[in-house]
Amino acid sequence: MTSPSGSVDADATARAHGWVAHLRDGGTTPWLAWSGTGAPTAPAVPGAQQLELLRRLNLASTSSARPRGDHDRERTRLADRVLVAPAAGRGQADLPLVGLAHRGFGAAPVDPSTISAHELLRVASVLLADDLVALGADPVATSWPRPWRRRVRLVGDPLVAAATRRHLLGLGRPEGGPRPFVVAIGGPLDELLAHTWTQRCFETGATPWAEWLRFWRERDQLPDRADLLESVRRWGGRRPFVRVVTDLDLLPRQVGVRSLPPVRVPGADQAELARRVAAVVGLRVERHERPALMRTLQQRIPDSGATPVGVPIGEREWVARSAARTIRAVTRRGYSVVGDLADLAPSAAAPSAPGGPDDRQVLDLAIRMVVDPSWRRERRRQEEVER
Amino acid sequence: MSKRVLLHVGCPKTGTSYLQDVLLRNQSVLRDHDILYPADRFDAHFLAALDLMTLPWGGLETEAVGAWDRLAEQVRDWHGTSIISHEIFARATPTQVARALDSLGDAEVHLVLSVRDLVRQIPAEWQENVKHRSHITYAKFLRTIRDPARESKIGSWFWAVQEIPDILDRWGASLPPSQVHLVTVPPSGSDRGELWRRFSHTFGLDGLDLDLTAERENPSLGVPETSLLRTINQRVTSIIAPPDYRPLVRELLAHQTLSRGVASARLGLAPDDHAWAQDLCRSWVEAMAGRGYDVSGSLDDLIGPDLGAFADPDTVPADELLPPALDTISALLVEGARLRAVEERLHEELREAREERDRARLTPSYRVKRKIVTSLEDSAAGRGTLDAYRRARGRK
Repeated sequence: MTSPSGSVDADATARAHGWVAHLRDGGTTPWLAWSGTGAPTAPAVPGAQQLELLRRLNLASTSSARPRGDHDRERTRLADRVLVAPAAGRGQADLPLVGLAHRGFGAAPVDPSTISAHELLRVASVLLADDLVALGADPVATSWPRPWRRRVRLVGDPLVAAATRRHLLGLGRPEGGPRPFVVAIGGPLDELLAHTWTQRCFETGATPWAEWLRFWRERDQLPDRADLLESVRRWGGRRPFVRVVTDLDLLPRQVGVRSLPPVRVPGADQAELARRVAAVVGLRVERHERPALMRTLQQRIPDSGATPVGVPIGEREWVARSAARTIRAVTRRGYSVVGDLADLAPSAAAPSAPGGPDDRQVLDLAIRMVVDPSWRRERRRQEEVER
Repeated sequence: MSKRVLLHVGCPKTGTSYLQDVLLRNQSVLRDHDILYPADRFDAHFLAALDLMTLPWGGLETEAVGAWDRLAEQVRDWHGTSIISHEIFARATPTQVARALDSLGDAEVHLVLSVRDLVRQIPAEWQENVKHRSHITYAKFLRTIRDPARESKIGSWFWAVQEIPDILDRWGASLPPSQVHLVTVPPSGSDRGELWRRFSHTFGLDGLDLDLTAERENPSLGVPETSLLRTINQRVTSIIAPPDYRPLVRELLAHQTLSRGVASARLGLAPDDHAWAQDLCRSWVEAMAGRGYDVSGSLDDLIGPDLGAFADPDTVPADELLPPALDTISALLVEGARLRAVEERLHEELREAREERDRARLTPSYRVKRKIVTSLEDSAAGRGTLDAYRRARGRK
């Protein structure tokens, strides 16, 4: 004979399996509002993070106008992926649903609708990393090297340098060669730091923005690529062969071309999502394959309209001091400056979004990318946008 | 011989480093007895665990790509007994457990869990956190793990790898109890070889001629030493990246220097925490007693030692911190001197290489060629000519 408590437990488990089936079918009812039952489709009920993410994906999918047809099959395939996706990194493992029988051991049960965006992102980043690995790296456009090209070595602002390097490669003007000009791309140091962190998110990943910034502030050092003088020294730049460019409109001439495409500066949410995805991609592919995949993500990630990360007020004094030190050192060494050296000082305006990315915005972007696969289908965008 | 896999999934701080080191060093002896310990480096199974559980780990994860599948393939291909061992497997979710067990093929899987009472595990886990960059105080650590919500990184990790009945539920749910083996860590003061005897019995290693020298252990620290390390972390965690922290702080300071303070007070629990930990352990023993698991040792070992004198690591006076602090400075200076010597030697090698290059350049023909190249590089036409020449000579 079944005990009353055993019967209650069985009912709750059947309700959970019913909810799983409902979500697999594209349902959007929250767990606490769900009353149906169903048969098990897996030995155990998936974690609350996976289930809630699936519900949010269904909500996003419902609101997007998409043709049916293969849609149902795709949705079920996606649902099955979500339900077995791990939550990346240390943190809470799969959480049980509130209302199910609790054995007295294990994590405390939760109402899935209260799970933070941070936790849901741990699962979403795994899905996106797997999508990216399945997509593979976009090919790099190259052309026969022009013998008469100007020999340059690009250092400094990693976002601008990477975009310029790619463009030049496509024109048959690869970086390097004998006795190159070292072109140090500068700019307001707060922006340079933000660009350095952002680019790193799209390469190997990084620590969170605030932590990363504190690391350098407490060391009173600049990261390699934001340290113009150290970058020039590393490439053996001698005075006649060094150009410090602070005016990007004048950069094309320094690299031997008439114009360069505008550089796309990822928003804080795009960079943060890339940071999380990079960590998982690092577990999925060999070390040398990750940069190309992350470059592909950087070129394909959808726009969200969010502003890039900004240096919070607490760090601005250090940034100003570091910029002044760089300006003094450039002057002392007598390098040719293209633009105004004073432009290396941090911009006067305080950032509009201090403190870095907002997890909810990042989650919205992640959900959009999981639900709408167009970023994986479209060919590489021809031109980058927005400087 | 039938195929068996002994899957040792935890717990941390139960002598696992020693066991894994013995297994690694005795691989060939084990093979001669049809026992496979498939590892080409001491942390091979740690990397497999990172891969299985999608755990980024301060950059180490890039060495873990495909590590679980490779490990599972070796196990599937082996005709006899295979051993897999790492303590962080304890944290796997049911989905990851299912994937792991499925990938081991048709072998008979035996789950092994080495366990120790919470009275000793809680201080040990706090120390482990401190050795992994944390500067959380002992009091806050205790508050964190006693919080039933377990939402913090530290709390959720602690229980995921230390809550024995839950680990057994996750890993052992699909196995008959006779294939689930518990190895209890003997009480403090027991014969030092007793734990090994229990491991040896469970892993079927009795009677094998193994080298049991302790080469790699995860030594514990005394109260002032841990307190000092935590204070150091407060200063350096935010400015020393994990790849530098591991060799300089964890290895050099914690393992090689501060763990030598054997005379220092050992960390325990305050009366209230002690009573709570023992009550919890009793409830675990009660829950496991009727499950029919194979136990090497006794479940009573899990109740833990009686309450002893408690030295609070959050309030260690400065005069007790001074001796380990001086040891730390001394160790860092010696390491600094060693690194200076390495740097000096590299400079010397570089200088010799440059001298050799300069001697080669002293010939008149080289100087003429160099002058021509330098002149050509100053103009676009010259650079084009040089490019064409180099291409013709196959140098590009």
